[in-house]
Amino acid sequence: MIQNDMSRRRLLGLGLGLGAAASLTLAGCGSDDSSSGPAAGNGGKEYTGPKVDLKLWNGFTGGDGDIFKALVNQFNTEHKNIAVSVATYQWEDYYNKLPGAASSGNGPDIAVMHMDQLATFAARGVITELDDVAKNLELAEGDFAPTVWKGGIYNNKRYGIPLDMHPLGFYYNKAVMQKAGLDPNKPPTTKDDYVAALVELKKAGVQGFWVSPFQFTGGMTFYSLLNQWGATLFDADVAKATFNSDPAVEACTWLVDMIKQGYSPANVGQDADYLAFKSGKNAFTWNGIWQINDLKKSPEVQWGVAPLPQIGSKPAAWANSHNFTIVKQRANDANKVSGAKVFINWLSEHSLDWAKGGQVPARKAVREGAEFKALPEISSLAPELEYAAFPPAAPGLGEVMTTFYNSFNEAALGKKSPKQALDDGVAKANKQLEDNRKKYGS
Amino acid sequence: MTTPTRTTRGSATASRVVLYATLVALALIFLVPLLWMVITSLKTYTGAQQIPPSWLPNPIAGYGYEQILNNSANPVLRWFFNSMLAATLHSLLVLVTASMAAYALARLKFRGRGVSFALIVGTLFIPPTSLIIPNFLIVDQLNWIDTLAVVVVPGAASAFGVFFLRQFFLSLPNELEEAATLDGANQWQIFFRVVLPLSKPALATLAVLSFLTNWNDFLWPIFVLFSPEKLTLPPGLGLLQGSYVTDYPVIMAGAVLASLPVLILFVLAQRHIIQGVSRSGLKG
Amino acid sequence: MADVIEVGAARGDAPPPAAKARRRGASAGRTGRATPYLFLAPYLVLFGVFGLLPIILGLWLSVHQWDFQLPNRPFIGLDNYKDLFSSDSAIYGDWWESVRATAIFTVLSVPLLVVVPLGLALLLNRSFPGRTFFRAIYFAPYVLGVAVIGLLWRFLLDANLGLVNRLAGAVGLPADTPWVTAMPWAWISLVGVTVWWTSGFNAVIYLAGLQDISPELYEAARMDGASAWQRFRNVTLPGLRPVLLFVITTTVLASANMFGQSFLITQGTPGTETRTVVWFIVEEGLRDNDAGRAAAMSIVFALMLAVVSIANFRLFRYKED
Repeated sequence: MIQNDMSRRRLLGLGLGLGAAASLTLAGCGSDDSSSGPAAGNGGKEYTGPKVDLKLWNGFTGGDGDIFKALVNQFNTEHKNIAVSVATYQWEDYYNKLPGAASSGNGPDIAVMHMDQLATFAARGVITELDDVAKNLELAEGDFAPTVWKGGIYNNKRYGIPLDMHPLGFYYNKAVMQKAGLDPNKPPTTKDDYVAALVELKKAGVQGFWVSPFQFTGGMTFYSLLNQWGATLFDADVAKATFNSDPAVEACTWLVDMIKQGYSPANVGQDADYLAFKSGKNAFTWNGIWQINDLKKSPEVQWGVAPLPQIGSKPAAWANSHNFTIVKQRANDANKVSGAKVFINWLSEHSLDWAKGGQVPARKAVREGAEFKALPEISSLAPELEYAAFPPAAPGLGEVMTTFYNSFNEAALGKKSPKQALDDGVAKANKQLEDNRKKYGS
Repeated sequence: MTTPTRTTRGSATASRVVLYATLVALALIFLVPLLWMVITSLKTYTGAQQIPPSWLPNPIAGYGYEQILNNSANPVLRWFFNSMLAATLHSLLVLVTASMAAYALARLKFRGRGVSFALIVGTLFIPPTSLIIPNFLIVDQLNWIDTLAVVVVPGAASAFGVFFLRQFFLSLPNELEEAATLDGANQWQIFFRVVLPLSKPALATLAVLSFLTNWNDFLWPIFVLFSPEKLTLPPGLGLLQGSYVTDYPVIMAGAVLASLPVLILFVLAQRHIIQGVSRSGLKG
Repeated sequence: MADVIEVGAARGDAPPPAAKARRRGASAGRTGRATPYLFLAPYLVLFGVFGLLPIILGLWLSVHQWDFQLPNRPFIGLDNYKDLFSSDSAIYGDWWESVRATAIFTVLSVPLLVVVPLGLALLLNRSFPGRTFFRAIYFAPYVLGVAVIGLLWRFLLDANLGLVNRLAGAVGLPADTPWVTAMPWAWISLVGVTVWWTSGFNAVIYLAGLQDISPELYEAARMDGASAWQRFRNVTLPGLRPVLLFVITTTVLASANMFGQSFLITQGTPGTETRTVVWFIVEEGLRDNDAGRAAAMSIVFALMLAVVSIANFRLFRYKED
């Protein structure tokens, strides 16, 4: 009985969801958005309906969350007829609970989501298409970095409006470099420089580059290197895994050899690479852009950040992006959708403040403004946007990525040779991709 | 008293010394990691990340506690109150329902007793975490999502309490009931006046354990509570640390604050858990 | 509390039980035939809705490819079960690896979790100044949630930076033991942490059980000249038997349900060798949104546990009834 009801409700939800997407076209005239400054009280200019309450969910815990909430408060004071309330959950819990919440009518109106989750949630009908939002707001690829903009598309339809992008960056400890006789203002940018620096550091008794076997950060480092070597994780249709190709194995071998050659200790624990970096036990760490603000909390650490050195044949860096999505509702409310649209556009324009939270804004105008350039560390990673390697848009990719990271783990811990680990991983990943195809259709 | 006493005063002292030496050695094993937790909770954010770590917080910082107690963005006290209420109601519900059911299963004869017991204990084999989705569908039908009931009631269906009390009731001597029956007592009177008072240790134990299970529950509340002001403490405390970096002082301060009340509860309850002597007279 | 109980029992649409009992049972404690069912009723309501119904739903899910929101949730018969047993499915390897991990952990941890707490309980059941203090200390770790003890130990056990290796180095032991990333250390850490964390739990249950053993029995044994070991063998153990059955059964189940410790401390490493069944089920059901497959795994896993537990019950049965 419960089951029947559930599926009826789901069908209803689906129907209404499509209705909601269609109704987006009704709410017009968002084109004059460049002038919608902080002039208090004219919020009704874009949304003129009765007051709507919008629920927004995100995973911005801690300091990020405070910045985000401040932005939302600013939005609320500027828009008298739209009230956005924010609920925050830890990302992992967030993705677990969102489907149940949405299907039971307890979900949010707006959900912030990582780019690599969009396809999954789109295929499952949790979130609605936003092509008309993009069109009405006259947002186009030119306003964003192409890599980020395209990532919001699944099955030729747009599901996410990008807020930011967060790549992997190269952090160097200036004090440790100096101790080893290296120029702290010239971080290595090529393979030869990089290895030479590690040799010098080793002579000074420092294992310069700790290779973590975990996704954070060893797995992401390998992901970047694999792309630098010109390999890919999957083929173009994301039908087959390709992360055991020869260049991929080479990239993995290079990284694992860091341990064999003594530039990294074995058995690096979760977070140990970063804690060791902060306390001067190593010199280099490849870590997310989010650590910039964290390092600023430790004034005694002398550090710098730069784009990842190019170890392989081309530059590449792991990256992900936060996107706004609109969640399908049981009951259609065109006013809510219009309000949500106004909010998404407003926040996208105000993403400079969000950049201060430690992310590169997705919006080009913001990224190229003087104010963003005045954030030296964060803007120094903006060039990576051109060659950032975002995860492909395919539903159910989460478990396949876990398989990828687990095979690197086996290689990094010396459980298997890089080739063996990646071969085994690809065999399993292909089966998972096959299952996904059956499940989500294509 | 008539048996020859081999223990002299000297060896009594010696065994005392051995006893306390054992107790202290064990206590150290249990305590040192906990002390580390308290020490960490008193460090600054960067102080807690020092490698090698310092044994004592220097300076002693209220950072972790301030983040939790002076947090205007998150209603931490509200979460604390929600958790208290949920855990208290939950353990009361368990005590009432489980003690009655266990009494029937242990001491009364009726058709279907064996089957009922097998069925109840049989559900223990299914990992509770794997029933989250079915349970979600049920509480959704009941419209319990995002309410207090959803973190109080479903967990009380666990077979743990019934199985636990049944095993204790089994070990009560039959003579007690026989004596009460001769006095003209019926089953309800026996249950309330004989069995329950005699089972205080077991009841107090179950109260503590079910309170604690509910108090620390994490996965289920995450799944069924949505409003920030309705959260319980464990999922709530998770929100106070950043997404990417482990904020040790905040986590540890949260753990200290969340565990103190339960520890106090345990100290109060343990007097009821250990009360053997008072009962012995009844055994005759 | 008595009021609550009466109210609870009366909810079953029956005459107030006490009154009914009195009417019928004029003679020596005979109570109405309905009485046992009235005692059971409040729990059975809970049990039916939140104990049995979820399992029935779980069985239903397990024969579907089920997702909260997927447009298609087709009936797929026993495919989810077949996948667990056919070596060319995507999850076959992971599934049996997780079964193996769970079995290893259970076999290593249960004996310690049954014996160590018994020792603690016997120690704490004695009367000496300060025993409340020691009881609280031994119980204290269990008061913490798994999220906290996981993080705490991950930090302490870190191979390169952790305090455990620092202490080991200070006393001349190897200072580079990979506590969480290599075998057999990962199992040693997981079992050790679990014993540290949950011994207090079982110790409290034993303590409660020890209260049921009459002091006169000990006195009688002592008068017969029984040694401490003989008193333990012939008085304590038989007295604890029902409680021991409970402790062993629930400890086997708790160990078989282990998830948080390996999720947080070893994170499944090396590779996925320490990823347990329940972790894998949660991952399939909640993260990968395959509730049907997760349900099938739970049911197969429950059957495995039932076999173990029935053997366990058999061992105790002849003594119990």
